Amino acid sequence: MNRALRRISIAVLAMFILLLINVNYLQGFAPASLASKPNNARAFEAQFQYQRGNIVTADGVTVAESKPSNDEFKYKRSYPYGPMYAPVTGYDTLYSQTGIEEAEDSLLSGSDSALTVRNVIDLLTGKQRKGANVTLTINSKAQAAAYSALAALGKPGGVVALNPKTGAILAMASYPSYNPNVLATHDGKQLNQADEQLLADKAQPLLNRALEGTYPPGSTFKIVTSSALLTQSPNTTINTNVDSPTQLTLPQTTHVLHNDLGEACGNGSGQAPLVVAFAQSCDTTFAKIGMQLGAPALNDMAGKFGMNDANLTVPLPVAKSNYVIPPSQALTAFSAIGQFSDTVTPLQEAMFAAAIANGGTLMKPYLVQQVTASDLSTVQTTSQSVLRQPVSSSVASSVGQMMLAVVQQSEGTAFAFRQGVTGVEIAGKTGTAETGQVSLNDAAFTCFAPYGNPDIAVGVIIQGGGYGASAAAPIAVQVIKAYQSALGNQ
Amino acid sequence: MSSITAPSPAVDPTGPLVPAARSRRRTELIMLIFAFALVAFAFANVGFSLKGKLPSGLAEYMVAYVAVILLAHLAMRRFAPWADPLLLPLAALLNGLSIVMMYRLAQQANPATGRPVISTSQATLQIAFTAVGVGCFIAVLALIREPRVLQRYTYTLGAAGILLIALPALLPASISEVYGAKIQIRFGSFTTVQPEEFAKLALAASFAGYLVAKRDVLALAGRRVLGIDLPRARDLGPILLAWAASLLLLVFESDIGTSAVFMGLFVAMLYIATSRTSWLMLGFLMFVAGALTASKLVGHVGERFDIWLHPFTPANAQGNAYQLIQGLYGMASGGLLGRGLGGGQPYITPLVQSDLVISGFGEELGLAGVMAILLIYGLIVQRGLRAAMSVKDPYSKLLAGGLSFMLALQVFVIVGGVTRLIPLTGITTPFLSQGGSSLVASWMLIAVLARISDTARRPPPRPIQEEGLTQVVTLN
Repeated sequence: MNRALRRISIAVLAMFILLLINVNYLQGFAPASLASKPNNARAFEAQFQYQRGNIVTADGVTVAESKPSNDEFKYKRSYPYGPMYAPVTGYDTLYSQTGIEEAEDSLLSGSDSALTVRNVIDLLTGKQRKGANVTLTINSKAQAAAYSALAALGKPGGVVALNPKTGAILAMASYPSYNPNVLATHDGKQLNQADEQLLADKAQPLLNRALEGTYPPGSTFKIVTSSALLTQSPNTTINTNVDSPTQLTLPQTTHVLHNDLGEACGNGSGQAPLVVAFAQSCDTTFAKIGMQLGAPALNDMAGKFGMNDANLTVPLPVAKSNYVIPPSQALTAFSAIGQFSDTVTPLQEAMFAAAIANGGTLMKPYLVQQVTASDLSTVQTTSQSVLRQPVSSSVASSVGQMMLAVVQQSEGTAFAFRQGVTGVEIAGKTGTAETGQVSLNDAAFTCFAPYGNPDIAVGVIIQGGGYGASAAAPIAVQVIKAYQSALGNQ
Repeated sequence: MSSITAPSPAVDPTGPLVPAARSRRRTELIMLIFAFALVAFAFANVGFSLKGKLPSGLAEYMVAYVAVILLAHLAMRRFAPWADPLLLPLAALLNGLSIVMMYRLAQQANPATGRPVISTSQATLQIAFTAVGVGCFIAVLALIREPRVLQRYTYTLGAAGILLIALPALLPASISEVYGAKIQIRFGSFTTVQPEEFAKLALAASFAGYLVAKRDVLALAGRRVLGIDLPRARDLGPILLAWAASLLLLVFESDIGTSAVFMGLFVAMLYIATSRTSWLMLGFLMFVAGALTASKLVGHVGERFDIWLHPFTPANAQGNAYQLIQGLYGMASGGLLGRGLGGGQPYITPLVQSDLVISGFGEELGLAGVMAILLIYGLIVQRGLRAAMSVKDPYSKLLAGGLSFMLALQVFVIVGGVTRLIPLTGITTPFLSQGGSSLVASWMLIAVLARISDTARRPPPRPIQEEGLTQVVTLN
């Protein structure tokens, strides 16, 4: 019987070893993945017991930090710049998160598996656990300029500035915004009250217009139409004369398309060089070009510039910018000048200019530069990547010259800004999407600078702003100015 | 008789070089003091963590606990002086931790409900149950001076065991159903008795008696299939009976965990008695086949498997798997060293006072604490198996082996279930869970193991050697 007993002992030993291995897995390795499961109340509350990591701009300005608090939780989130950075940081409340707070939560809270080893070392050395810090690509000067310019205008809109060479997001502002500090309260009642108030606000302060607001691009879409034309017919140059009638009756309709205020295009001969039509933003010219190219070609080019992509994240999710293939030629004409069902985000506006500025290569936009653990070691670094190659470098150069003409030629719609930033040549395209009433038109502007060696591309959309040149372009100029002075180029 | 352990003096009375056998009762006392210190420290920890000061009832709780356990120690000195010195301290430590955990759960309100998981009176009751358990421990030691006497009651104990199991199933659900399983008998509104806890002991003793009597027959080989000697068909009766009983338990009382423990106990004892692997395989296959069939037929059983395999699907996470998941979250939040007694949120986990108590310990004492608790169980089982190997009498051998294995299996089923190694089935965690029946039955189990180890280690009466007289040699 002892032989059997010994075997039973071995079986018992095996059972206990299995249990020990399993609890080691459960408590030693699984906590990070279990902590990120939904409805894990413990993990959620635990994050307020540790010091959450900071969110810092590329130039070292802290925009979200955790400060010691005296209530049931040890730390409370604080946002020193309030509404200015709210679309970037988002908020971290007792119950939910948005923005970078949500996208980088596991690293900020320190529960990410990439931090497990460091946490264990902290535990063993008796050091207080602390979340990782997130360094943004944002430049604080550009961000401040973008937000203050929007706030000064006082109309709803969004601004995004990109580094065209890398895709790094230099500024991302939305107006009206909200104060995330109000939502960082640990008082559940106060939180609910503030939350309900923000949700009920008709101005939609919680909407991050820079990434989630979609508006008709208006004439800024002519960048896409021109790119499609220049790509499809290599013999066309910016100086090629194209049909530019003062009036255009759309096929199978009685609708007559005018240019803005019924102006003639170019010299009124019905023909104008492409660059003049572009600078002057002649609707009839590009409506005609659009009809010649056809909706599928426009759709293809719009997609190459990043439109119709519902899956882009920076890592915050970006709303899809739409080009919808119209059911008729007449509507195709409208779609070619950024009307009909075309809608874009301010980020997409910036991407138009960024792709042209970077020789036709569109870099993937990103908001997080790197993540560093509390011991200052790097946990993650975002590597630049190419999102798409919408046009060849020669087409990009042509479109770039036309965008320069918009600002630098006397007939250009943004000629007023040729001296906008001293010593810096800006190239851009205005857009005014008709909503029926001039004062309620959506104003758009996309641009890059300096023309010779672009380091910033800006997209601006102002809802109900009126003319792109009068409402949107000044804001872009402010952002460029602030960024150039931050770089020491001025 | 061979043994992997060092031969104890009781086994080898011949060599004059063997030092005089020691009862080791003083070792037991020292180990007990160690256990008392740990429990007192744990108590203080709870108080400081929750209230910032020593808990108000610390002295009363500790005095009651220490007094009760010291009584058990005195009983050991009196009735089983040669018993294994580790069994009592290990059991006392687990029991003490259980009292601390119940106290801790009663002291902190769940913010969601505004009430603690268990009331203070329920926590105090755990001390009372400890006293009853130790009372039964002493009674077993006092009444059963030789384990072999139990052999006489083989059939009586068997019948009693089956009756105890069947009782809740026969009674109306209003007084026996708890959380979908019919395993309790309710007296009034407060006290419940779980008869199966005692049935396990009765049946183990009964199986041992039966198997000792029949083991030669059962070991006879029948047909040989695939290199395994199958038992003769006519000898299959008992295993079929045990299997049927465990399945009935499963179907009528929806108690999968206990059913597995019963089946495992029977098969293991059959194997110890006959040393035939074929019994093991047969029993295992029969249980798996039965469980699989039951999982198809009985909703409660299939549901357990579904929860185990897919706990995080939204429907399960908010529904049937809720307690399992909360237990896992609790243990995960404890991590390596735990959040400290009083520092966690065990109240979030449903049934943390009973079935999921190990997750409460995992949350507050961490991986280190859970491993320590598992090792304590492992040590108790090892001491029991060691007693089984060193005792001479086959009945005691079988009983000690069976009971030790049963304890191990029960820990495996519940801790494995809570940590998602196997499907979670509601059985008690010996010594740790809230509730009297389990605690009392666990103390009785320790008493039987102590009695058998006492028998094993007891030195033989000294031969009288006096020159000129006839030498008397005891032959036994």
